[in-house]
Amino acid sequence: MPKQVLVTGLGIVSGIGISVQETLASLLTGKSGVGVLKYLQTNHKDIPCSEVQLSDVQMRTMLSIPDSVPMNRTSLLGILAAKSALANANITPNKALRIGFISGTTVGGMEKSEQYYKDFLENDTRNEYIKIHDCGACTEIIADYFGGFSYVSTISTACSSAANAITLGSNLIKQGILDCVVAGGTECLTKFHLNGFKTLMILDKVQCRPFDATRAGLNLGEGAAYIVLESEESVKSRNAKVLCKVSGYGNACDAYHQTASSPDGKGAALAMQAALDMSGLIPSDIDYINAHGTGTTNNDESEGVAIMNVFGNTIPPVSSTKAFTGHTTSASGGVEAVISILAMQEGFLPPNLNFKNQIEKLSFAPVSKLRRNVKIDHVMSNSFGFGGNNSAIIFSKLQEIK
Amino acid sequence: MSVYIQGIGNISIQNTFNQTGFPEPVWYNEPYVRCIDPDFKPFISPNESRRMSKVIKRAIASAKASIADSGIEMPDAIISGTGLGCIADTEKFLSAMIDNDEKFLQPTFFIQSTHNTISSQIAINLKCHGHNNTFVHGGISFECALTEALLLFADNKVNTALVGGYDEMTPSYFKLLDRIGLWKKEIASSAELNQSNSIGTLAGEGSVSVMLSDKKNEKTYAAIDALEVLYKLENFETAINDFLIRNGKTTTDIDLVVLGMNGDVKGDEIYKTAAANLFENKAQAWYKHLSGEYFTSSGFGLWFAANCIKYRMLPTYTALNSKSAGAFQNVLLLNHYQNKNYSLILLSAC
Amino acid sequence: MEALISELKEEIIKVLNLEGVKPEDIDNDAPLFGDGLGLDSIDALELIVLLEKNYGIKLEDPGKGREIFGSINTFAKYISENQKK
Repeated sequence: MPKQVLVTGLGIVSGIGISVQETLASLLTGKSGVGVLKYLQTNHKDIPCSEVQLSDVQMRTMLSIPDSVPMNRTSLLGILAAKSALANANITPNKALRIGFISGTTVGGMEKSEQYYKDFLENDTRNEYIKIHDCGACTEIIADYFGGFSYVSTISTACSSAANAITLGSNLIKQGILDCVVAGGTECLTKFHLNGFKTLMILDKVQCRPFDATRAGLNLGEGAAYIVLESEESVKSRNAKVLCKVSGYGNACDAYHQTASSPDGKGAALAMQAALDMSGLIPSDIDYINAHGTGTTNNDESEGVAIMNVFGNTIPPVSSTKAFTGHTTSASGGVEAVISILAMQEGFLPPNLNFKNQIEKLSFAPVSKLRRNVKIDHVMSNSFGFGGNNSAIIFSKLQEIK
Repeated sequence: MSVYIQGIGNISIQNTFNQTGFPEPVWYNEPYVRCIDPDFKPFISPNESRRMSKVIKRAIASAKASIADSGIEMPDAIISGTGLGCIADTEKFLSAMIDNDEKFLQPTFFIQSTHNTISSQIAINLKCHGHNNTFVHGGISFECALTEALLLFADNKVNTALVGGYDEMTPSYFKLLDRIGLWKKEIASSAELNQSNSIGTLAGEGSVSVMLSDKKNEKTYAAIDALEVLYKLENFETAINDFLIRNGKTTTDIDLVVLGMNGDVKGDEIYKTAAANLFENKAQAWYKHLSGEYFTSSGFGLWFAANCIKYRMLPTYTALNSKSAGAFQNVLLLNHYQNKNYSLILLSAC
Repeated sequence: MEALISELKEEIIKVLNLEGVKPEDIDNDAPLFGDGLGLDSIDALELIVLLEKNYGIKLEDPGKGREIFGSINTFAKYISENQKK
């Protein structure tokens, strides 16, 4: 009998709040984090993005990290979110509790590397930052802030990174290798990927409109979010409060094109179906889908078709929250896991902001206005990345632990 | 649950591609060496190849070689480990962005720069819709990929999986890592990389694709019986003993221990001590003087150990002592990265 | 126009890294995308960058790309009508 994977803590920082409470308030009041760039130094300040409303200096102060310690924004965001998740779960990592930290990121230390690259090549003044350029090093900065982790790893599958971190964490607990895993992702804005997405011509010049027939692209965002996964034994032994459980997940590859999703959303459909199969649920059991819904012409139609193929006549309420948080890329699976769990706990459907016109090919429209007092027992969160790395996770209310 | 190594494709700084067993070693006298590449045309069409950096071409070629070697045409999962990902394309985009002040940038370099491009390009090439993942955690990226594969096998989610370790070392990145003291300033011969009493090692690069299956047959190289990846150990020897005991073994059962020594006198200390204290009378070997050091060089280590088991031999130039025996039933593979990340892999003959 | 066409072919081969393709291999009226030269959406984006960098023409709507880049002739015609550099 496979072990249950329980969720005992949430932590999140994004453009809509630096705590779970602030995030919830923004979702309930329709407050988007997409706006004018304040912190990122770039020539493209006209591109609307969602930034965490904290400078690096402020974050260092909040975390008591002296200026002398080499640090990058991705790691700072990650530490903030992980700290929040651990506090929420009431856990201090230590070797006796077999606890792991799995983080998704793509930019890693690029935010500093792009500033110091000339120095990297020409002199020895920024050598400490060479050491923390790669993704794994960034994850270790976060893990080492707390100490006590037995297993530390980094996943980088673009926009599904954090979701895959959660599924790996779940697998490690199910097989009794770890008792507890802090899993999610972190990504700060960088000139590198802002310019990268700009060359792909998929950035909207205004706030994005996921699932809208007139949608014109995505807004980039930054953030970090982690959930604390735990085994039943660990929960029982410390009488922990359980928020929900991870009841199923799926990972499938679209294998179609490096940046475009297939018209029939094959990979997405396979991932969603696999999550349903693992959970033992049928499509009509799902009460809400937090879609990947980036606002690009390609993703939203492809994802929509995939949802239609999997859910048939029983499509649940669907919304994308990326017009709130922006597309936080590698962190999005974590950010949206937290939002999905909040929606389930508080019984509301986050609105898909800026929606007016249904996409012709799709049989459904997203939830465009906030709906409260909704019974959500099972929520699916989708994360689909470049390269066709598609993941879906189902979180479910726990009836009771026997 | 044991999982079987059915096929391997290996592109390295040795003549390992499409070779059976151990090729004649190539020794180098400089600290930076690039792969001996095959002709990629048989594996990748010109239209696909034109966008690909070396790391991706090598990954596809080595993946196809592992398919040919194993006879397994379509894996159920593709999981890669890479320390730096597609660093050549990353550098191209980054340099252009800086030099051109964020103007006139080419999308291809950005698209190809993300770390998961490797795994997804293999999947696109094979049209594989199975589980697909990429681990980017420094010097244990390959072992992380292998960990996930073993979890999927144990959960009966897959019958086969392609696991790879892929890294390219560009001239620029070599320079960067030189600044932080990773490389030797000079090398008389890589054959004696561990003889100089100095820090630093030989910079290499490579692409190893391993096809795993839950079934063995006459093609099987070896079984992977257990794997552990650990973070910040109190005591390496205690961890080794605990790992062996958890898997029903003791140090006495081990016939060959393969060490991830790389010639860095400080980093190698921990291997020498563990080998002396735990495996004094056992065959000991190393491989990084063949592969060079790079984030996923442990993939080469797995190729090496698997071949030792399959061909029942230990090349003399890899032996660290004179205890080599004919056949190896149980082999322990040890690796660490910066004395922070550790991996222990237990292999056995079938 | 001939000089532009010749230059365009060289640039396309360079920017898209069309190894093994020579300017004389590219027929002026043959489709560049799909069956012709086999270019795809990423190549279209590259050609949009080329248009701006070399000829000062900024294309805001990537959707127009397929039409403009239909063939070498349509591409050259568009440039000569809109060139700012």
